[in-house]
Amino acid sequence: MIKKELITRSPLRILEKSTQGGVGNGNIGVITARKGVGKTACLVHIATDKLFQAKHVIHVSFADDTTHIVSWYEDIFQEIARRYKLDNAMDIHDEITKNRVIMNFKQDNVTTEQVLKSINSMIRDARFSADLIMIDGYDFSKITKEELGCFKKFARELQVEIWFSTTLPREKQFFDDNGFPVILKDFIDHISILIHLEAKEDYVQLKLIKDHDQLPSKTLHLKLDPQILLIAEKKQ
Amino acid sequence: MAKDIAKMRNIGISAHIDSGKTTLTERILYYSKKIHAIHEVKGKDGVGATMDSMELERERGITIASAATNVTWKDHPINVIDTPGHVDFTIEVERALRVLDGAILVLCSVGGVQSQSITVDRQLKRYCVPRIAFVNKCDRSGANPYRVKDQLREKLGHNAIMVQIPIGLEEKLEGVVDLVTMKAYYFEGPSGDELVVREIPSELLEEAQNKREELLDAVSMYSDELAEAYLEGKETEEQIRCAIRAGTLSLELTPVFMGSAYKNKGIQPLLDGVLNYLPNPSEIKYHALDTSKNEEKVPIVPDDSRPAIALAFKLEDGQYGQLTYIRIYQGMIKKGSELFNTRTGKKFKVGRLIRMHSDSMEDISEAGCGDIVALFGVDCASGDTFTENNMPYTMSTMYVPEPVISLAIHPKDKKSADNLSKALNRFTKEDPTFKTYVDQESNETIIRGMGELHLDVYIERMRREYKVELETGKPQVAYRETVTQTANFDYSHKKQTGGAGQYGRVAGILEPNPENEYDFVDNIKGGVIPNEYIPSCDKGFRACLNKGKVIGFPIVNVKLTINDGNYHPVDSSDIAFQQAAIGAFWQAYEKARPQILEPVMKVSIEGPSEFQGNILGSINQRRGIIISTNEESNFTRIEAEVPLSEMFGYSTVLRSLTQGKAEFTMEFLKYGKVPNSIALQLKKEFEEKKKADSKK
Repeated sequence: MIKKELITRSPLRILEKSTQGGVGNGNIGVITARKGVGKTACLVHIATDKLFQAKHVIHVSFADDTTHIVSWYEDIFQEIARRYKLDNAMDIHDEITKNRVIMNFKQDNVTTEQVLKSINSMIRDARFSADLIMIDGYDFSKITKEELGCFKKFARELQVEIWFSTTLPREKQFFDDNGFPVILKDFIDHISILIHLEAKEDYVQLKLIKDHDQLPSKTLHLKLDPQILLIAEKKQ
Repeated sequence: MAKDIAKMRNIGISAHIDSGKTTLTERILYYSKKIHAIHEVKGKDGVGATMDSMELERERGITIASAATNVTWKDHPINVIDTPGHVDFTIEVERALRVLDGAILVLCSVGGVQSQSITVDRQLKRYCVPRIAFVNKCDRSGANPYRVKDQLREKLGHNAIMVQIPIGLEEKLEGVVDLVTMKAYYFEGPSGDELVVREIPSELLEEAQNKREELLDAVSMYSDELAEAYLEGKETEEQIRCAIRAGTLSLELTPVFMGSAYKNKGIQPLLDGVLNYLPNPSEIKYHALDTSKNEEKVPIVPDDSRPAIALAFKLEDGQYGQLTYIRIYQGMIKKGSELFNTRTGKKFKVGRLIRMHSDSMEDISEAGCGDIVALFGVDCASGDTFTENNMPYTMSTMYVPEPVISLAIHPKDKKSADNLSKALNRFTKEDPTFKTYVDQESNETIIRGMGELHLDVYIERMRREYKVELETGKPQVAYRETVTQTANFDYSHKKQTGGAGQYGRVAGILEPNPENEYDFVDNIKGGVIPNEYIPSCDKGFRACLNKGKVIGFPIVNVKLTINDGNYHPVDSSDIAFQQAAIGAFWQAYEKARPQILEPVMKVSIEGPSEFQGNILGSINQRRGIIISTNEESNFTRIEAEVPLSEMFGYSTVLRSLTQGKAEFTMEFLKYGKVPNSIALQLKKEFEEKKKADSKK
């Protein structure tokens, strides 16, 4: 399969069609799930889809080291290339690797201001014209509404799309009466697309909770296949 | 007498350049009573530390060549291999690591785990060397061994566990508390010789108890016996030591020691740690390769009664001739016995057998397995294997990276020219990554190596040790050429000039071959090219690979398949088919869209976060790709891939961009495609050079 076809047939087009065109530049998307359900896999697949479209991606993590994030990207790419029998896979791989950078922080001792300053430095000093910023494993319980507001402002000013993934705490009640995750109740105004990953028996359902200014009218026919860790269409 | 192998230790001291490795080595030698006075690295007394045997190293305060020295601690013989700290001398480090059974990873208590520590640790990991960590310089202002322990976990992924805690820190450092014996150790006397054991100071007791619990929790998983005893609160010191040892040998645990080599604190317990936690040679499984059976793996038995197998890992040219450091893996080597060099197939007699103490030596009559000794006057190269009874065994081939940079050198006068060949002959034997050749077209002597500093040091050594005055050209990157698409060839070589003619026809395919440098496939059916001329075709193709037509650099990653041809019963010959293959290759090469490749380095830069923007900008200007950044406590580590051609002089640039507060390391990563604009420039330069050469 050639790259162009791969982009058109990507299951992520379903996300765009089922919402008002996806997250869009200047906006924030959030993926929530319990620990170990597949947030990073989703983020990396969304990022890889953008990379195929020759877009630039910054992946921000708060992990111990960056090598395992790089392996995520490698694995997801290999899986896509294998499944879709991608032509010139090695050349495409080399090409898209140039458009991806991983930035790792220790969230315990880094401020939102510092994170944004470093991302800004990557964009301006290293002339890395990011289209998409993935912020993986962000702890919303440690930030204020104003801090997320700073991310939103940053997205608007630089016309980038920002995705966060966050873990829902184990013991607490997940959702409030409006169906929003309790942990995100103060931030909901800033979030354009909100997806919750719900573990079913043999797959993970992508459940759309918020679609810009409206409550989602359609069901999202997307799932995460836990065997291959790729987002795929969920046939009705 | 050969020594008891269970008591023997072969250890290396691996470290970041300024973490005080040489001072630590010096102290180890002093406490084991081999030397009688302590010298500092940048010695006020002008003597310099004992392990730094070369003048240049003394001046720079760094250790370039690895010297092996034997010491004895509590009746245990320890061979200390002083491994070089600078990353440009990776082959020196890796060769030394090959013969180690264990290592002390030295870290600075202020600087912590820095980018070079990461490189050094990666090398230790590659060779599966069990290690203990020593957090040095605990007397310095800002010392924090706890932070260094955390960094060992986070940055290096070690399961690091403290086996000591400091008594005081910075200028108040007095000694250490041993968490196994639960005693306080103080180091008294003018050079810290007197180890005084006291009760733990009351203010540290609670912390010591907490840390001991952490230690026991971490190590009890390596010993069921300890786990059971610990549950009952009846653990013994011996049980704890056995568990730490088991964890360390399995490479899953890194015990952390601490102190200050400079202030003579913490060295004796560290030496105890070497005995307690690092393996003896018989505890490591080594293999040789049987060259008579297609390099089949053969286990080595560390037994003195078996035939000897030894590896020459280091050559040194001293005033009395060549000294060859060997590690004996199996059997014994005796003075006067006969050994076989597997590579050359030649036998030689063991003349003098020597145990080395840095610059002084002791003649011995025999050495047993596990030991590291030196031989005098043996003609060999670094990496050769010596065996007894003509055994065709070789120790596994060491990974030798190809040089990535070259430099033309011209001796200034006749005397220099004479000495130059001596110097080059020695250096190329000592260091397999340092290579030299004479360019046939320009008649220039070219030296090749792993980086700018690598070549600089050899040029400096030529000046100092051989009095060779040189003029040097501009450093030249080792480019490569390759093809990007498949092309057919069908070429006939005909020559009829009276007498016997020459005839050969070769047809087939030239194609890209990312897996291997060169493959030759014979698909000839029906004897259209007779069997005897097939190797001639291969030879002809190989001849073309040395120099491509795009910019005159070697051609790599190509596959040549021959599937058709023709011969003449009288006029065909070896040379005719070689010529036909050469003609065929160049016929297809143009059509296969040749491309230039350049060495790309993996660069790791570490510095204060405030300079992040400057550093990122400098990578961008150098056609670099940023792979990742890692920010912690106002320090940022940036990993990037940058073409080597853009990295010349980067250390100066980085210094000025960061007020000297950042540092970088680099190593060869891969060959990458050169962008079109640069390729055009290179082609232009090549054409101009060709024109200039033809005018000469």
